[in-house]
Amino acid sequence: MDTLVSKYANAASSASFDNADNLGDNLSGWDAATKFALPAFDIPMVANPTDFLRAHTDASAENRIRIQHGTTTLAFKFQGGIIVAVDSRASGGSYIASQTVKKVIEINPYLLGTMAGGAADCQYWERELGRRCRLFELRNKERISVAAASKILSNMVYDYKGMGLSMGTMITGWDKTGPALFYVDSDGTRMKGERFSVGSGSTFAYGVLDTGYDYNLSVPDAIELGRRAIYHATHRDAYSGGSVNVFHVKETGWEFIGNYDVGELHWHYHAQPKGVIA
Amino acid sequence: MSVFSTYPGQVIVDNPVSVPIEHRFDPYVDNGGTLLSISGEDFCVVAADTRQSEGYSINSRYVPKSVKLSNKTVISMGGCYADCLTLTKKIQQSMEWYQHAHGKTMSTAAVAQMLSIMLYQKRFFPFYSWCILGGLDEEGKGAVYTYDPVGSYERESCRCAGSASSLIQPFLDNQIGFKNQESNKTKLSLDQVLRITKDSFTSATERDIYTGDYLEIFVITSKGVEVQKMDLKKD
Amino acid sequence: MTSRLPQAKGGFNFDNHVRNTLMEGKGLGIPKATKTGTTIVGLIYKDGLVLGADTRATAGPIVADKNCEKIHYLAPNMYCCGAGTAADTEMTTALISSQLELHRLSTGRQARVVTAMTMLKQMLFKYQGQIGAALILGGVDINGPHLYTIYPHGSTDKLPYVTMGSGSLAAMSVFESRYVANMEREDAIALVQDAIEAGIFNDLGSGSNVDVVVINSEKVEVLRNYARPNERGVKEASYKYAQGTTRVLKSSIRDFVDIKETVHVTTTEEMDIS
Repeated sequence: MDTLVSKYANAASSASFDNADNLGDNLSGWDAATKFALPAFDIPMVANPTDFLRAHTDASAENRIRIQHGTTTLAFKFQGGIIVAVDSRASGGSYIASQTVKKVIEINPYLLGTMAGGAADCQYWERELGRRCRLFELRNKERISVAAASKILSNMVYDYKGMGLSMGTMITGWDKTGPALFYVDSDGTRMKGERFSVGSGSTFAYGVLDTGYDYNLSVPDAIELGRRAIYHATHRDAYSGGSVNVFHVKETGWEFIGNYDVGELHWHYHAQPKGVIA
Repeated sequence: MSVFSTYPGQVIVDNPVSVPIEHRFDPYVDNGGTLLSISGEDFCVVAADTRQSEGYSINSRYVPKSVKLSNKTVISMGGCYADCLTLTKKIQQSMEWYQHAHGKTMSTAAVAQMLSIMLYQKRFFPFYSWCILGGLDEEGKGAVYTYDPVGSYERESCRCAGSASSLIQPFLDNQIGFKNQESNKTKLSLDQVLRITKDSFTSATERDIYTGDYLEIFVITSKGVEVQKMDLKKD
Repeated sequence: MTSRLPQAKGGFNFDNHVRNTLMEGKGLGIPKATKTGTTIVGLIYKDGLVLGADTRATAGPIVADKNCEKIHYLAPNMYCCGAGTAADTEMTTALISSQLELHRLSTGRQARVVTAMTMLKQMLFKYQGQIGAALILGGVDINGPHLYTIYPHGSTDKLPYVTMGSGSLAAMSVFESRYVANMEREDAIALVQDAIEAGIFNDLGSGSNVDVVVINSEKVEVLRNYARPNERGVKEASYKYAQGTTRVLKSSIRDFVDIKETVHVTTTEEMDIS
């Protein structure tokens, strides 16, 4: 753990030219774009920083630093591309911190990331991912593949494994290979897949999603499936709610489909005749 | 040979034996207080009470929580006052550097993004602070940015944070966001917003022991930042 | 009718004590009792004594009651201020009050303050501090005025001027600087008011109004809300909702059914009263 701490604690000084002896070493493989922006995090000066953070963010802590949590997100591939649908609730403990969170992070015009787990972790690292993807474009004169982008994210957060990051995300986009969907989390997991749902309400969303899923779904039907799956998750999961945001990933990039208040959706679905589950 | 009386079987130790001492690093205190911000079509209101407390004691009846950062931006913070003070100074310093480097004042949106990164910088040793940034955007429209302690942020129309947030936020959702109201969803005037702000605080003072003493309201318009002060109950 | 099952003998039930300790250990909070983070005071003046209390009751950081009563009746010649867990102070004083009345009836004499003090401390000691009642007991009997403090564990003090509760330090600073023996009634009440107000304004657990009780050998005066230094201001806006604000999900309109009732008077036999 000590080596881990010193590594992060010194990140700021190693990126600067303070030490003339290291200048040559730095210059050989030095790259302003990566070096200057290497995030240097402040670490508490205690024997075990991870325990410190946990002690102050756990439910039992006296002055609890509430990090926002709770979500239902989903994404699935189909013949028309990828549908991404998410809820918009953020909760800190039992308090609903916000009903209007943007849980689909627009990394760039053809890459989307979703947010589950720590809101700040997802926002920060997916923003950092966007920056690195842009650098890739400038260096290589072509867009980064979704596989590579998701791997950058996975590798970045894996460096901090065990230090308390919390992130469960789906990276989607369209590249040379067609539509691509990856699941990446802060434990270091990275999976390619056809259909994912992440967050506290994911089990409910999967229930609807798996029932109604068909690869040959039309675009309107796919959008409706995503929206409905999130709605049902918000209905049963107390930590999900607010409104549903739906995105459609196409060859030309992603398109924002709409924002639907779950209160309005409830009465909309309530009025419809119940379908038969065959 | 000893000057102290002894009894059979007593063990006399020349040097006191060191015993393990429990060390706990607890750098956070909650200094209470409530803050809120409401954005309008061409204005933004940032308000906070000025009581600073610790436990059942009042440290001071007048410690402002809000600071004017520029003619278009005001920051308000609650939580651990030491952390808030540090964070405010960091923002002000960075804004000055920006001014020198680029010859212009940072926009509200730029300050908002910067604050998010500043908070996340301390992801593993968080600032205990609830931040609300209020101001005007590039189009001159009212803007409210809200943060969690580690830097997740979002632009909203209104937000209350601090010790009475759970008392005031539902009221704002109803009166400003018109939640659970079928009719009259209109944009509110500055006068209406100020009335709602004052009523929020006088009511919160009735029921939250950490809120009281004085209310300081920052009104941000295209003309600049105007500060109003008002008495709150002191019990 | 007898039962083989153990019969409840009355008194307190400790069944959930172990469970609650376990729940607290796991970080699950048990329902919070209303605590009167309080300022209560008492002092002896020339002819008797004055008791004072604030009127705020809190549940954590929230004000549960803005105008509660913390000076409880004990006997015609005795009152008792309570700080700590609201339910405990109320039930303890009510229980002792009842016992004092029975005592008075059986002895045919006015109860003495020392008797009430002993009953209270014996009860609180028996429960080893589990009953969270911190009390100021004041009364006048044949031996003159008496003022006691009683702590939740059962210890007591007999003093000329006392304060208790979370605002006790603020109130005591007023007493320590201005208390003199043999004060006049008006001076004593003013000093008690100032002591309570010191608690109201400087202690977050205390607030709202000042209650005062004056007891001397002649009479007992209960001065409820003797001072009200914290009136709520007038609201700036009106929050009346227009008709139609609440969404109508379903409506069902029925006509009144017109029921015609007629009363038939039937003659009955006269009651036999011979």
